[in-house]
Amino acid sequence: MAHPPPGARRIRRICGAAVGLLLGPALLAGCGGSSGKPTLTWYINPDPAPTSGSKGGFGQAGIAQRCSTSSYTIKVQELPGDATQQRIQLARRLAAQDTGIDLMSLDPVFTGEFANAGFLAPLPADLSSELKSSTLAGAVDGATWDGKLVVAPLWANTQLLWYRKSFAQKAGLDMSKPVTWDQVIKAAAANGGTVGVQAKKYEGYVVWINALIEGAGGSIIQDASTGSDAKVTIDSGAGDKAAAVVQELAHSKAAEGDLSVSNEGTVLGPFATSKGAFQVNWTFIYANYKKDKATFGDLGWTRYPETVAGTPSKPPLGGINIGINKHSSHLADATAAAKCITSTQNQVTYAIDTGNMPASKAAYQSPELAKAYPPDLLQAFSSSIDAAGPRPVTPYWSDISSAIQSTWHSPLSVGSGTPKKSEGFITDVLKGRKLL
Amino acid sequence: MTETVVAPRPTPAPAPARASDRSIAENRLGLKLVAPAVVLMVLVTAYPMLQALYLSLFKYRLTVPDDKSFTGLGNYATVLGDSLFWKDMLNTVIIMIITVAIELVIGFAFAMVMHRIVFARGVMRTAILIPYGIITVVSAFAWQFAFSLNNGFVNGWFKWLPWISSDTNWFGDHWHAMFAIMASEIWKTTPFMSLLLLAGLSQISEDMIEAAKVDGATWTQRLVKVILPNMRAAIMVAVLFRALDAFRIFDNIFIMTRGAENTESSSFLTYRQVIEQFQLGMGSALSVLLFLSVLLIAYILVKLFRVDLAQARQEA
Amino acid sequence: MKQRMSPAHWAGFVVILVWCLLPVVWILMVSLKPVGETTTGSPQFFPKDWTVQNYKDIWDNHDFLRALGNSFGIAVIATLLAVVFATLAAYAIARLEFRGKRVVLSIALAIAMFPVVSLVGPLFDMWRVLHLFNTWPGLIIPYMSFTLPLAIWTLSAFFREIPWEMEQAAQVDGATSWQAFRKVIVPLAAPGVFTAAILTFFFAWNEFVLAISLTSTTAARTVPAQMSFFVGSDQFNPPYSQLAAAAVIVTVPVVVIVLLFQRKIVAGLTAGAVKG
Repeated sequence: MAHPPPGARRIRRICGAAVGLLLGPALLAGCGGSSGKPTLTWYINPDPAPTSGSKGGFGQAGIAQRCSTSSYTIKVQELPGDATQQRIQLARRLAAQDTGIDLMSLDPVFTGEFANAGFLAPLPADLSSELKSSTLAGAVDGATWDGKLVVAPLWANTQLLWYRKSFAQKAGLDMSKPVTWDQVIKAAAANGGTVGVQAKKYEGYVVWINALIEGAGGSIIQDASTGSDAKVTIDSGAGDKAAAVVQELAHSKAAEGDLSVSNEGTVLGPFATSKGAFQVNWTFIYANYKKDKATFGDLGWTRYPETVAGTPSKPPLGGINIGINKHSSHLADATAAAKCITSTQNQVTYAIDTGNMPASKAAYQSPELAKAYPPDLLQAFSSSIDAAGPRPVTPYWSDISSAIQSTWHSPLSVGSGTPKKSEGFITDVLKGRKLL
Repeated sequence: MTETVVAPRPTPAPAPARASDRSIAENRLGLKLVAPAVVLMVLVTAYPMLQALYLSLFKYRLTVPDDKSFTGLGNYATVLGDSLFWKDMLNTVIIMIITVAIELVIGFAFAMVMHRIVFARGVMRTAILIPYGIITVVSAFAWQFAFSLNNGFVNGWFKWLPWISSDTNWFGDHWHAMFAIMASEIWKTTPFMSLLLLAGLSQISEDMIEAAKVDGATWTQRLVKVILPNMRAAIMVAVLFRALDAFRIFDNIFIMTRGAENTESSSFLTYRQVIEQFQLGMGSALSVLLFLSVLLIAYILVKLFRVDLAQARQEA
Repeated sequence: MKQRMSPAHWAGFVVILVWCLLPVVWILMVSLKPVGETTTGSPQFFPKDWTVQNYKDIWDNHDFLRALGNSFGIAVIATLLAVVFATLAAYAIARLEFRGKRVVLSIALAIAMFPVVSLVGPLFDMWRVLHLFNTWPGLIIPYMSFTLPLAIWTLSAFFREIPWEMEQAAQVDGATSWQAFRKVIVPLAAPGVFTAAILTFFFAWNEFVLAISLTSTTAARTVPAQMSFFVGSDQFNPPYSQLAAAAVIVTVPVVVIVLLFQRKIVAGLTAGAVKG
C-alpha cells in the first residue's frame, strides 16, 4: 500500500494556508470601521448610459451627489437591469433585515408586496400629504397601499401612441381626436403599415393587457388589499374587449413579424422604416429618435388609444418610487434624503438627463423642461400620467402577472375564451391550488 | 501531522501477515484523505437540503411571513397533480435524451478524430475547449442573437432549406424554440463530452487494437468489440454527468426564452417558484422532487453500465 | 502517436474547427458592429460598419473590469483547492479500502445532482450570518462543493485505469513509495488532474445563479452576473454589441489558459506512455 505522499504534509500546509486565504477577507470585512458622517446606500435601477459621456452628476447618481449634505453622504449602488431581478435581490435582503440598504428605487409594481411584507419604513405624515397633493394622480395611485402613501414617487412613466404623421395622413386618420385600437389597427393594415406593441412573454405584455382592460372600464382584480383573497375580475366585458384587441392585432397584417417576442426596443427599428406607422411606447421615444432626422421630423404623438370608442383610455403607468428600508440604521437621515431626492428640482434635472418624466405637477411648468420638450408633448405626458390606470397594487402582483403571461401568451393564441381561462388560473394560483 | 503508522509497502506476494492492522491503517488513511472534500461538500449542501425538506412541509411565502402554515404533504400533492409540472418534466426529459444522444455521437466522432491527429493537436485541443470555456450566459446570448428575426444570420444562411424562410420566428413556437435551445446546448457541451471520451480513448493500449487488426477484424468490429468495451468507464462518466447536467438545464432557457412557448424545464420551474415568487414551501417541494428525479436517473444509468468505480484492486 | 491521416480525418478536423469556432467568430462579428446597427437590426454575419468602439466602452467600464478580476481570482482559487482536495479523495477511493467508501461516492453523486437553484435561499441566510455574503469565499466555497464530485469521479476513473502493477513494478525496481508515486503515478494521472482542473475552472467561470444571488456589489460580483447590469442607450434592450465585446474580452483569458493547460495534457500523455 502506498505511503501517502509526504507531500500530504505539504498539502496539509497548503490547505491550511488556503483556509486562511478563504476566511481572512471575511474576518477583515467584519473589522471595517467607519468614522465620520454616515453613508446612506441607495440601491438604484440602472440609468441609461449618459449620451454626452459625462460621468458622475448624471441621473440618480447626480441626485445622490446633490442631496448629500454635511450630515450624511448618499452613495448609489446599482441593481441589475431587469425589474424582476431587482425585486428578487431587494426582497431577499429586506426579508433578512439587512441594514446595508437605506434607500431603494422601486418599480411601482413592487409597492404592494414590499409594503405588505413590512419592508418599508412609513413616510412621515407631512411628507406624505405634501407628496399626495403635489404629485400627478396616477403616480400617487401607484404608490399607495392600504390607503396610505408608502413610497415617494421620483419619476413617472407613461405610454403614448406615437405615429408617423405622413402615414396618418395617408391613412386618413384624424389624430387630433381620440382614436381606438380598432381604428389604429385597421388604418395600419389597410395602408401597409405596422403597429408596434410589447407582446413578448414578460411584464411589458401585461402592461398592455392591463391598459386595455382598464381602458374598457374593468380591472384585473378587485379588493387588492385582501391579499390572496382578492376577487379576480379579468373575465368581464372589459376582459373580453381587451382580448378582442389582442386577437385583432395578432391576426392582422399590421402585426410585426416578431410580435410574440416584441418589446420596447424591438419596435424602434421597424418604426423608422417605410412600414413604420404606429407604436405604443414609453416617454423615451422622443429623445430616442432625435438623432434620426427623417423619422423625427415625421414623429407625431397622442394619447394612448381607447379600447372602447368614447371611453377615455387609461394609459399605462411606470416609473420609479423611492422606498426607505424599515431596518435602515439611519432612518431619520434616510427619510430626509428621500424628501430631497424627490424634490421638484431634482425631478426636473433627472428628466433633462434621462428623458424620464417627472411625477410632480409643478415640474411640468419648469422652464428647463419647456426648453427640451415641445409644450404639447409635455401636456400629453402630464395628462396621461394623471389619468393613468396603474397595474393593480397588490402583494401578489408577480403571481398575477406571471399567470396572465402564461395564459395570454402568445398573442396569436388569444381568443374569446382567454379571459375566462386566465381568471380561473389566476384564482387557482392565488389560492395555491395550481403551480405557476 | 502524518502519523507514520503506514507500514512500508509489502511485496505483492500473498501471505498477509498483519492483514487486520494494515486494513485498519488503510481505513484511517482513506478516511483522512477524503475528509477535506467530504466535509466541504456536506457543509455547503447539507443545510440547504435539510431546509428544503423541512420547508416543503409548509405553505410559506417569503414576503407574506404571517401566512406560514403546516401542510404536511400538501405541497407534494399539488405539484404531482399539476399539469404544468408534468409538462415541464416532459420537456426536460426530451431535452436530456436528445441532447445527450446527439452529443455522444458527435463527441465520439470528435474524440476519434482528435485521437488520430498529430500535427495540430494544440490548435485542436484549444478549439475544443473554447465552447466549454465560454460563459454559458454569453453563448446563450450569441445563439439567441443568431436565431433572432431581425439580427440573426441563421435565417439568412439556411433559408434554402424547405422549412426555413427569412421570416422564421425561431422563438415564436414551441418546437422551433426547443430546437434553438437544444442547438445552443449541444454546441456548448459536445466538446466536454469529446474531451472525456478522448481521455478514455487514449487509455486504450494500441497493442489491443493491433492484435485485433492482425486477427482480421474490420474497422466496425474493432470499434464495437475492442474500443467501446474498454471505454466503458469513460463513456459512463461522460453520459452520467452530461445527462444530469442536461436534466437541470437552466441558463440557456433563462436567456433565450425565459420559458416562453412552453419551453420551461423543471429547473426553471423550481427557480421561478423559489426565487421569483418567493414560494419557499412549494419551491422546496419542487426542489426535493427534482432532486429525487435526478437520483432516479442516475441510479438507472449506473445500473445500466454496471461498472463499479470504487474497486480498489483489480482482480486481473 | 504516428498514424496516417485519411481524408476522413482531415474532413473531421475542419468540421471540428468550424463547429467550435463559428459562434465565437459570430460573437466577434457582433462585437465589431456599432451599437446603432444592432439596435435597428442587422441580420447579416459581418458588420456593415466595422468599429472597435464597443471595446473602448468596455474598457472604460470599471465595474466590468472589477468583475473580470473577481471572476479570475475566484475561479483560480476554487480550482486549486478543489483539485487538491479531489486528488486526495480520488486516490483514496481508487486505491484504498476503507469503510464508508460507497457512502463518500454516494454523497459526491448526490451533491452533483442537487438543483443549484434551491441552494440560493439557504446559502444566502448562512452567508449573512457568517459574514460571507458578497465576498470571494462566499462564492469559492459553493463552487468547490459543486465541482468536487465531478473532479473526484474523473480522477478516480483515471486512478483506476492506471494498472496497479505500475507502482509495484517501480518499487520492485528499487523506488520508494513516494518516488513511485511521483515518477509513475503523477505523470499518468496528470491528464486527469488537468481535466479536473479545467472542469472546475470553467464551472466557476461560467456560474450565474449563485453569482447573482450571493453578491450585491462589485466587491465580489463575477462577470456573468455583471453582464446583466449592462444598460444601453435605451433601458429596455441590452446593448448586444457591447455584450459581445465583453464576451470576447472574457474569452481571451480562457483561450490563454486553455493553451497553457493543453500542452501539459499532451506532455502527460506522452510521458506516461503505457507500452508494455
